[in-house]
Amino acid sequence: MGSVAKDGCKLKDLIGAFRRHSRSAFTAGLGILLGAGALLWWTRPLRSDNFVFYLPAARDVLPVRTLGETSYLPLVGVLNLVGKVDALRESSNKLSLWYGDNTLEVRDNNRKVTLNKTSLKLSEPVRFVNGQWLVPVDFLSVVLPRLVKEPIEYRAGDKRIFIGSAKPATFAVRLESLANGARVRVEFTSPLTFQTAARDGKWILYLGDRAIEPLEQKFDFDNPYVSDLRFDDQDGVPKLILTPKTSGLDLYPALEEGGKVLRADILKPAAPATGQATGAAAQSAGPGQAGGAEGPAALPQRPTLPVVVLDAGHGGSDSGAQGPNGVLEKNLVAQIVVRVRTALLATQKYRVILTRMGDTDPDFDQRAIVADTAHAAVFISFHAGNLGFRSPRVAVYTFQPPGGGSTFDPLAPRPLLMPWNEAQTPHLAESQKLAQALEEQLSRLSEIQSGPIQPAPVRVLRSVDAPAIAIEVGSLEPNTDPAPLLDSQFQQKIASAIVSALDAFEGGVS
Amino acid sequence: MTSRAKLLTVLVLVIVAAGALYLNALMHRLRSERAQPTEASARTKLAEASLHAQNAPQESVTLFFPSNDQGVLLQETRQLSLAASDTDRIRQIFLALLEGSAQGHGAPIPAGAELRSAFLAADGTAYLDLAAGALPLFEPGIGTETLAVYSIVDSMCYNIPSVKRVKFLIQGQEVETLDGHVDLTEAFVPDTSLKPSTP
Repeated sequence: MGSVAKDGCKLKDLIGAFRRHSRSAFTAGLGILLGAGALLWWTRPLRSDNFVFYLPAARDVLPVRTLGETSYLPLVGVLNLVGKVDALRESSNKLSLWYGDNTLEVRDNNRKVTLNKTSLKLSEPVRFVNGQWLVPVDFLSVVLPRLVKEPIEYRAGDKRIFIGSAKPATFAVRLESLANGARVRVEFTSPLTFQTAARDGKWILYLGDRAIEPLEQKFDFDNPYVSDLRFDDQDGVPKLILTPKTSGLDLYPALEEGGKVLRADILKPAAPATGQATGAAAQSAGPGQAGGAEGPAALPQRPTLPVVVLDAGHGGSDSGAQGPNGVLEKNLVAQIVVRVRTALLATQKYRVILTRMGDTDPDFDQRAIVADTAHAAVFISFHAGNLGFRSPRVAVYTFQPPGGGSTFDPLAPRPLLMPWNEAQTPHLAESQKLAQALEEQLSRLSEIQSGPIQPAPVRVLRSVDAPAIAIEVGSLEPNTDPAPLLDSQFQQKIASAIVSALDAFEGGVS
Repeated sequence: MTSRAKLLTVLVLVIVAAGALYLNALMHRLRSERAQPTEASARTKLAEASLHAQNAPQESVTLFFPSNDQGVLLQETRQLSLAASDTDRIRQIFLALLEGSAQGHGAPIPAGAELRSAFLAADGTAYLDLAAGALPLFEPGIGTETLAVYSIVDSMCYNIPSVKRVKFLIQGQEVETLDGHVDLTEAFVPDTSLKPSTP
């Protein structure tokens, strides 16, 4: 009992002491929590990723810091990658840099950047975090082109930039069924080499030293043998990562067509009794070929989403038509294309590919190559120009060969090889239907003038091997107010009309 | 320094600053303004071509001028003393189009566009070789370029029966487009669909 009484006394003492000091203990605890919270707040890189710089003779990566919703890059790191910072001076909230003949000034929490006394504005403020000056990624498109002499190719939203004259290759992906597996065909715009590795149940196809810019990052397949194909270059090494649906499958990769096509066959191993599980046998298996009685019958595949290729006309040094107040066709059509892309992706019915990345000017053949290698279901080219005094107005064009009719017979079997400059010819009837579907949607918009559909020798449509139309909005010319064309509602209406037109076009493109 | 001297200094500075601003504006204007050759020069060229046909009777010629508002070619007739040779006639039609519409329709060929040479091949292809400076003078756009090209092609083929198609060259070379839109890699045949049903 005595010890119990003694323990009871100790407990009472403790409770008493806690009551006496509860206020100060609470205050101290709260202070520690707030201090830790504040520390974490200021140092929070919520996510961290890499940004790849493809330079003329090298490539390098820099870490991307994500603060809030904005991606940031280390300013000094960027400049030292593309050139050399000669000197820098840091004051309380300002950083001055000398870079070649240029002087650059940035301030913490300020969107304004001063380059050689010219004021430029970034989308988000510069940040000074953990002793490092960080600039939002749009620094690469707003400031960097003024600092370096080489051409820069950067697509907003991407985590890679190409500096110098070397054009990056790109690729399109196609999935084919085999009797005992699946074949992924990756068609590149330039020849390359590859090496194979396996890690964590996935196959990795390293794509050599060639700079590669994917038009799409990931391809999901509804197939019993392969789940997805993903492009990754986060460590500066371009590679394709192929994820099989199940374990126990074999991969047989091979290059074809002089290195421009990477064929990857994913096959179920043949039963030992048949003796077919050799690489050579696997590689010779073609689409539709019987692959042995042991192989599972290829399940019917849900077709992959149809590809819509959107082509924003002009770009780079080619500004196209010009309106008053510096409104340029290349920028206007890029705005419209972004809205159309967003509207199409929202339907989840289409894959959307753009022909130009940022403010670049691919030539007409490169634009057609994007559509043709992606096996586009539809190609739409966007332009702006003088359509007379009735503004806003939208004109829809189909391709008309300058030389008049073609010798192409729509009823004859399609030749194996089409002349490049006649690729559009077999699709003229479909293109006309697509144009009619769009014209019907546009004619419902009382506030927009449109029609009739006009055949015209539009160069960019000539080599597109798919139903293709060109859309011109107007009037964009020096004596007409461009405000109606810049209006977001006008642009959104065009985007909605295109979505409805694709739905109506042959019951939806396929 | 006296107050008078200070005043003078300020005055001089203001004048220098104003002068600099004016010079800057002048330079900007000079840079942005394109050379606009006069209509008179076009008429001179037309007269030069007409020299070949001084004794020929006047003939009615049908020209097609663009209407950007309607997206069509509008017909216009005028009297010309056409030369004997088809090559000279091609040049005459070109210069008549360059001179512009008498009824206020659009101009298919911008003032300043120079025809370096014209010739007619045995297969009926008329080659029009424009000076390099002509390209940027055309108004860019699918509609405007299409109308400009067919205005020339249709006018040539309508008035000179031996011309079956027209091929455009720039400085003697084939070019891809007129001003970023219309395909010039092939010879053009006339497009009758661009004319309104009732002229």
